[in-house]
Amino acid sequence: MNIRVVVSGRDYDLAKSLPRQLTLPEGASLDQALEALAAMVPEGRTLAESCLVAVSGVHLGTLRSHRVRQLADGEELLILAPVAGG
Amino acid sequence: MAELNLSAEELARYSRQIGAGVLTEEGQRRLKRATALVTRAGGMGGPAAMALVMAGVGRVIIAHGGTMTSPDLNRQVLGAEEAIGRPRAEYFLESLRSMNRFVTVEAIDHEPDDAEAMELAGRVDVILSCAPTFAERLRLNGAAVAKGVPLVDAAQWGMTGTLVAVDPGRTACLRCLYPEDPPFEELFPVIGAISAAVGSLAALEAVKILSAAGRPIFGRLWLIDAHQGHACFVELHRDPHCPCCGSFGRRR
Repeated sequence: MNIRVVVSGRDYDLAKSLPRQLTLPEGASLDQALEALAAMVPEGRTLAESCLVAVSGVHLGTLRSHRVRQLADGEELLILAPVAGG
Repeated sequence: MAELNLSAEELARYSRQIGAGVLTEEGQRRLKRATALVTRAGGMGGPAAMALVMAGVGRVIIAHGGTMTSPDLNRQVLGAEEAIGRPRAEYFLESLRSMNRFVTVEAIDHEPDDAEAMELAGRVDVILSCAPTFAERLRLNGAAVAKGVPLVDAAQWGMTGTLVAVDPGRTACLRCLYPEDPPFEELFPVIGAISAAVGSLAALEAVKILSAAGRPIFGRLWLIDAHQGHACFVELHRDPHCPCCGSFGRRR
């Protein structure tokens, strides 16, 4: 199955090195998707643990601590590095 | 007590925003009776405060410390070349007062600490958190939750902005989203257009909350990633174990 990936906020530049679509085994979990993405992050970079995680428009927590969620084909995974400025 | 009815002059001033798709006359009166706190009043808070003052919110309190610098002027719309070196709060106050004689504007020349944030939250009807640091935003969030006052949190980095509206005890608060303070960089990248956009939208949410017009975005995060051309809403849920709002209702 395929899920869409959006990386935004302070880590927006990582979006360039990550796929906009991720192919996963049928019934894969959110954690499997996050592990797959983490493996694609360029060496020396990491997604901050404080990044917000949402699937199909529903907030599930942060990269460090989030709810368990099974993914379905066509869903969108949003990883948002919290923004602060003014 | 301030006059609660709208004068003929006020009705004329607000005539384009009383009607279909905007406010009712009663909604406009609600704005007149309301007090809003905007902190800070720079790239996001400046446009937010402007919009509230121009919309006719009866009392607008801004808080912003320090003196105006040249780099502020890429986004701080209440400033001007002549303001460089002057206290921001004082200059912003003059700017805002010149925009609408029907409202009262007050300025605090520093960022409120915990005690002052709590005191301010107790005498306003809505808080617009337009501060750059997570520490300040979470402080305002805590005061809003403690006093049961709606909070609109505006944030920006680069060309990306987020907006969250908190209805204490009913929808997720900022601490539900950020269990630990995320990293913050002092010299954050910013361009005025995104700050103004997010600040203006924050003011619009406050106007909706105060006037009972439309449907506020309570319980949702509005992401505007202008860099990548992506915008969406994210549904938020309260964390029952949130150290800030988890006990809301039990301690009130």
